[in-house]
Amino acid sequence: MEVITILIPLAILLALSFIAGFIWMTMKGQYDDLETPAMRMLIDDKKININSDSNKEKK
Amino acid sequence: MSLCIHCDENILIPIFNDHDMDHKEPFCCSGCMTVFNVINNKGLEKYYEIKRNSAIFKRRSPADNKFQQFSFLDGQDFLNEYSYQNQTETKTMEFYLEGIHCLACLWLIEKLPEYLDGALLCRLDMQRSVATVTMKNNAFFSSVARELNNLGYKPHPLKRNQSIHDLKNKEERKMLLKIGIAGAAAGNIMMYAISIYAGADGKLAHLFNIITILFAMPVLLYCSSPFYKNAWNAIKNRTLSIDIPISMALIMGGIFGVYNEIIGVNENFFDSLTALVFLLLLSRYFLTKIQEEGLTANDLNFFYEGNTVLKKEQNKFIEIHPQFLKVGDVIKVSSNEMIPADGVIIEGHTLINSSLLTGESRPINTGLNEKVFSGTINLSNEILIQIEEVKENSRIGKILKKIESGWIQKSHIVDLTNKISKYFVAAVFILSAVLFLTLYMQGKTRTALERSLTLLIVTCPCALALATPLTLTRTLSRASKLGIIIKNNEVIEKLATIKTVFLDKTGTITYGVLKVDSFNTISNSQIPIFEVISSLEKLSVHPVALALKEYSLQNGANIFHPVNNYQELMGKGVYGQIGSHFYEIKNGEIFEDNKRIAYFTLEDHVRKDSKPAIAQLKTLGLDVLMISGDSKLVAEPLAIEAGIESANIFAEMSPENKLAVIEKHSHSIMVGDGANDAMALSRAFVSVAVLGSLDISLRASDIFLTTPGISHLPHLITISRETMKVVRRNLVLSLIYNSISVYAAFTGMISPMVAAIIMPVSSLTVLASTIAGTKKLNENLKQGIN
Repeated sequence: MEVITILIPLAILLALSFIAGFIWMTMKGQYDDLETPAMRMLIDDKKININSDSNKEKK
Repeated sequence: MSLCIHCDENILIPIFNDHDMDHKEPFCCSGCMTVFNVINNKGLEKYYEIKRNSAIFKRRSPADNKFQQFSFLDGQDFLNEYSYQNQTETKTMEFYLEGIHCLACLWLIEKLPEYLDGALLCRLDMQRSVATVTMKNNAFFSSVARELNNLGYKPHPLKRNQSIHDLKNKEERKMLLKIGIAGAAAGNIMMYAISIYAGADGKLAHLFNIITILFAMPVLLYCSSPFYKNAWNAIKNRTLSIDIPISMALIMGGIFGVYNEIIGVNENFFDSLTALVFLLLLSRYFLTKIQEEGLTANDLNFFYEGNTVLKKEQNKFIEIHPQFLKVGDVIKVSSNEMIPADGVIIEGHTLINSSLLTGESRPINTGLNEKVFSGTINLSNEILIQIEEVKENSRIGKILKKIESGWIQKSHIVDLTNKISKYFVAAVFILSAVLFLTLYMQGKTRTALERSLTLLIVTCPCALALATPLTLTRTLSRASKLGIIIKNNEVIEKLATIKTVFLDKTGTITYGVLKVDSFNTISNSQIPIFEVISSLEKLSVHPVALALKEYSLQNGANIFHPVNNYQELMGKGVYGQIGSHFYEIKNGEIFEDNKRIAYFTLEDHVRKDSKPAIAQLKTLGLDVLMISGDSKLVAEPLAIEAGIESANIFAEMSPENKLAVIEKHSHSIMVGDGANDAMALSRAFVSVAVLGSLDISLRASDIFLTTPGISHLPHLITISRETMKVVRRNLVLSLIYNSISVYAAFTGMISPMVAAIIMPVSSLTVLASTIAGTKKLNENLKQGIN
C-alpha cells in the first residue's frame, strides 16, 4: 500500500494541471466563439485562383 | 417559379446576365446579379458550391448593394474612434455584417486577404456576425468595406472599446471557469468519497477526507459565488429566491465538513454539494446561452443611423458617417435610401415610406419645405435635406429612448420556483428547529446539532432549482428550431397566463403588400393590356406599380415594349408612348390615347394563415383584438375577414395610443412589426415581433417569429402552457424527494452516503421528466406548423 503515497499526490497533480490548463485556455479566449471554428475547419486552405479575373470578363 | 441563384428567393421577374444566353442562371434582382458576377470574377465561385453543400442553410435576403465609396472610413477622426492600432505597423477594425448566414459566407469573407491587397487577416464570428479585419497601416479600410459591400454583406463599422461587449465576454469566461472548476473538483471528490464509503479506514480515510475538503474549498468559496450573490440581493430587496436555501445548504455543508474534520469524524457532504453546484451552474449557463441566440439589443443601435450619408460641403458632396452629422448640415438622399436624421426638404420632391414610424403602408408625397423623419425611406427621387434634429433628438431617437426605458420598467415576475422557495425555507427551518429541540430535550445536544444541520444540508433544493432551467432550456432550443426565438425566459411563464391577444394589422394579419383586388377591362387595347402595364411600370418602385407588375405577370405578360417619353408623376401615376399609342396609368384607371380602357382596385390582403390561427387562438380561450394605425374604413373589413369581431377593433391608433391601450390590459400579448408598434411592444406583458419586422421592433420584443404571419402563435401559447405543466411536475417530483430526505434526517437514517444517492437520483428524475415532456408539448414542438 506504500505506493499510494506516490499515486495520490500524482493523481492530484494531474487533476490540478488539467484545471490549470482549462483556466489558461479560458482566459486566452479559446471558448469565446464556439460556433465559427467548428465550421472553419471544413474549409480547405487552398489558395483561390485570382487570375481568372480577365478570362471571365471576355465571356 | 424559379429560385434566384444567389439568394434562393422566389423570382417574380427573372433577370439574366447578358452573356447568359440560355437563361440558366436566373436572378431576382440586379443586386443579386451584381454580387454573383463580383464573386465569379474574383474566382470565388466555390462559394455557391459550399452553399449548396452546406447543411446549415438559412435563406439570405436579396442583395442590396448600392455602390458606396466608404471614404469616411479613412478619415483620421473616424480611425481614432473606430480602429485599433497594433504594434506591428497594422491596424484592426471590426465590422458588423448584414446577411451572414452559412458556411459559404464564412469562406467568402475569410478569403478576403487573398483577393484584397493590404488586408492581412480577416476573422468572422458567426454568432455575432462580426468580422475583424487587420490591415497594413498604409492600406485603407474603405477598400475592405467596398469589397464586403460588393459581395453583398453590408458592413457597419463597430466602435472601438465596446465596453459592454468586453464586459459580457469577461462575464462569460468567468462563468465557464466556475463551471469547469466545479466539475473537476466534483469529479475528484467523488473518487475519494467513494473510497471512504467503500471502507477506507484509519490514516487513509483521514487523508482522503482532507483531500475532499481541499478540493471542495474553491467550489464553495469561488464557484458558488453566483448563488451567494443572488441570495444576498434577494434578501436585500426583500424578494424570494431559490438561491437562498441553496446558499444556506452550501454554507452549512462547509461548516459541517470542517467541524467534523476538527473533531476527527471522516464525514462530509462535499461530494453531493460540489456535484450540485456543477449541475446548477451548467443548467443556468445553457439557459442564458440559448437566450443569447439571435440578435442582442446592444448590437442594434447603429441600424437606425444607416451607414453613409452624402453631406454637402462647398458645392461638393462628401461621404461621412451619420454619427458626425450636425444640425444645419445639408445632405443628399438618393432613392431607396433611408433618411438618417429629421429635417426639411430644401430641394426636390419625392415619395416617402414612413411605415417605420406610422405603420401607414402607402407612400406619402412629400415636397419642398416639408418635414421628413429619420428612419423613413425615400422611395423615388433624390432630395436635399437640411437637418434639424439628429440622433436621440430625432423622432425615432425619442421612441428608441422610450423603448429602452420601457425595457427596464417592464414588469418582472417572480417565477414559480422562487415563489415556492418562501414556503420551502420556512418549512425547512421549522422542521430543523423541531428536530433540534426534541433531541435537545432528550439531552442529546450533539446529536441534535448534527441532525438538524444534516437536515438543512440534505434538503438543499437541487432538483427544485434544476427543474425550471432544464425545462426552459429544452423548450427554448426546440422552439428556436421551429423558428420561434424567445429572448427572455420569464416569457414562457407569462405566456401561460395570457388572456388577451393584440394583433397589429399591416404585415401581421395582412401581407403588408398591395395586391390587385379587381381588374376590369372596358375595351380591348391595341397592344395586350398586361404587356402595356408591365412595360410602363417596369421602372417604377411605387407599391402600386409593384402590385400591377405582379398581376400582369400572373396574367402571362412577359413581353416588354420600349416606352418613349416615359414619365412618372409623383404619387399619381405613369404615362408613356408605346409604338404609336399613348398610355397612362393613374388613380386606378388605365387610358389609351386618353380613352379609358380599364380600371382596377388595390387591396392589402389578409394572410391565408391568419384566419385559422385566430380561430385557434380563440379555441385556446383568448380574446383576439386588432390594433392598427390605419383608418377604421380600411381596418374593419380586413379584421372581419380574418375573424375578428368589429367590437374588438382599435383603429386610427398612434404609437402613443397603442401604448395606452396595451397598458390598460394586463396579461396581454402584443404582436406587431413596425416601429409604430415598438413602444407598445416594449411595454406589453409579452411582445411578439413577426418576420419582416423592423429591427426596432425586434429589439423591443420578447419573442421573434422567423416564419411570416401569426401561424405559430397558437403553438407558442400551447407550448408555454405545456412547458409550465412540466415545470410543475418537476417541482412536485423534487418536493417528494425532499420529503424523503427530511424523513431520513428525522429518523437519523441519513448519512453522507445516503445523501450521495438521493441527490443525484432526484436530479436524474427531474431530467428524465423534462426530456419526457408531455404528449401535447412534444407534438407541438415537433411539428410546429404543418
